[in-house]
Amino acid sequence: MSDFLASVERRAFKQAVFSVQEEEAALDIVQDSMMRLAEKYSDKPAAELPLLFQRILQNAIRDHFRRSKVRSTWTTLLSNLGMGGDDDDADPLETLEIEDLANVPASPAAQLEQSQVMAAIEDAVKALPERQREAFMLRYWEELDVSETAKVMGCSEGSVKTHCSRATHALAKVLKAKGITL
Amino acid sequence: MNEKEFSERIKPWLDRSAAAVGEFQATKLKSARLRAMDAYREPVRLFGLVTVNAGTAQTLHYSVMQRALLFLPIAALLAVLAVKSLEEADLGELDAQLLTQELPPDAFLDQDFRSWLGKPQG
Repeated sequence: MSDFLASVERRAFKQAVFSVQEEEAALDIVQDSMMRLAEKYSDKPAAELPLLFQRILQNAIRDHFRRSKVRSTWTTLLSNLGMGGDDDDADPLETLEIEDLANVPASPAAQLEQSQVMAAIEDAVKALPERQREAFMLRYWEELDVSETAKVMGCSEGSVKTHCSRATHALAKVLKAKGITL
Repeated sequence: MNEKEFSERIKPWLDRSAAAVGEFQATKLKSARLRAMDAYREPVRLFGLVTVNAGTAQTLHYSVMQRALLFLPIAALLAVLAVKSLEEADLGELDAQLLTQELPPDAFLDQDFRSWLGKPQG
């Protein structure tokens, strides 16, 4: 249990930060989630812990939103970007340039560039609508399959695919607009 | 680049982002984990039953046989109490008959009964 929690705590924290955009609240959410998992599911086999933890974490994030009832404008930012524009027909995924991550330069300038890219990606992820971000994070960061993601999100597998597709295209579009190559 | 390829490109950046969590946050996370582990108790497995935290038995996913096993000690205790109360009821009835002189005269001719009557009662 301890090893599992140690392996997921930072990713869980970042997920919570991306969602609630407050580090203090994110820490509380992760702490509550870890506590709940340790208290309630100590008898579960290790293989079931990732899915259980994600369910608890995502529920905790949703509870946070329910409690605070904060409606932030950033949740619709990328959706709004999808309205209008000259190059809307072009698929951003088709034109996004690719850079080999194995050849990451270590110079200070390159490191600065890296941190800027990382910040841009984080901002883009934060700006995704909640459900799109949740689907994208679970599917592609936590590497849950479509069925598991649907269970955690409490929606259909079709919805998961739709959310993931929209999230991916929205991210690609934002990164392309910023001239960022991955 | 398709959706899968794109996500595979993004993932390492997200991993770096998680790895770059500040020292303060990392310490807080570690502390939260240790608190969670304080609340964690290794499950005890006995006859296919598993206890969860502080010995609370979790029965949700158990078979009928496993559930029955859970109640065996309780059933045994209830049986012992029932037998004991029946014995006490018998003695009480005898006392009542003695006091009301309802015992048949033959009872006082029984040697064992008379010796029992002669014993000091606790």
